[in-house]
Amino acid sequence: MTLTSIHIIAFGMIAEKIKTKELVLEYMPDTEVLLGYLYQQYPDLQHTKFSLAINKKMAVGKTAIPVGAEVALLPPFSGG
Amino acid sequence: METKRSPKNIFVQGPISPESIAKSIANHSSKTDIGGHSIFLGQVRADEKESGKVTAIEYTAYEEMALEKAFEIREAIFVKYPLSCMHIYHSLGEVKVGEICLFVFTSSKHRKAAIDACEELVERIKKEVPVWGKELIDNDGSVWKENL
Repeated sequence: MTLTSIHIIAFGMIAEKIKTKELVLEYMPDTEVLLGYLYQQYPDLQHTKFSLAINKKMAVGKTAIPVGAEVALLPPFSGG
Repeated sequence: METKRSPKNIFVQGPISPESIAKSIANHSSKTDIGGHSIFLGQVRADEKESGKVTAIEYTAYEEMALEKAFEIREAIFVKYPLSCMHIYHSLGEVKVGEICLFVFTSSKHRKAAIDACEELVERIKKEVPVWGKELIDNDGSVWKENL
């Protein structure tokens, strides 16, 4: 991994759908571009509910992705 | 009393044993300013699904974010309620039906703060902490849970 990449980690149902828990992608400037790429690569995700967290903070709406960020794909929580 | 708090591990591998809960209660006997405890215990339920009966839940978490989030919630609840003590434990891995997967424990001088804080903690944990439960079914299948 280099500083010009994005480290993607996936959990729960999302990890099952994309068949991996980790991805390293070329840098993308914001969550809109990232989601566009993910939907294209993994059409299954278009029908799946999930949120994004950038560096462990929930990202709502179009959000800038810092260089070298860790972006998590989080299905609906079901702890407890 | 603690003056500076830092993130604590809330995760326990497998079920939370009734013995550890009893021990946790006993540990408070020296804190004689406490007048009330409130405890919530989450237990794995044998739900009937279309594909069969739930036998266990397998928990996974985004652990680093979960600990940060739990700490943030913990700090907010300490500011909001006059509590003496607060403990949160959540299982990871497999917890069978009938076993305990969540233990939330609040203590205060008078009962109301402990009761209200405990309820708010449970609600916030279920809604905001990145933990996932996969219900394991007796036919070897599984269903991902979703908190409402």
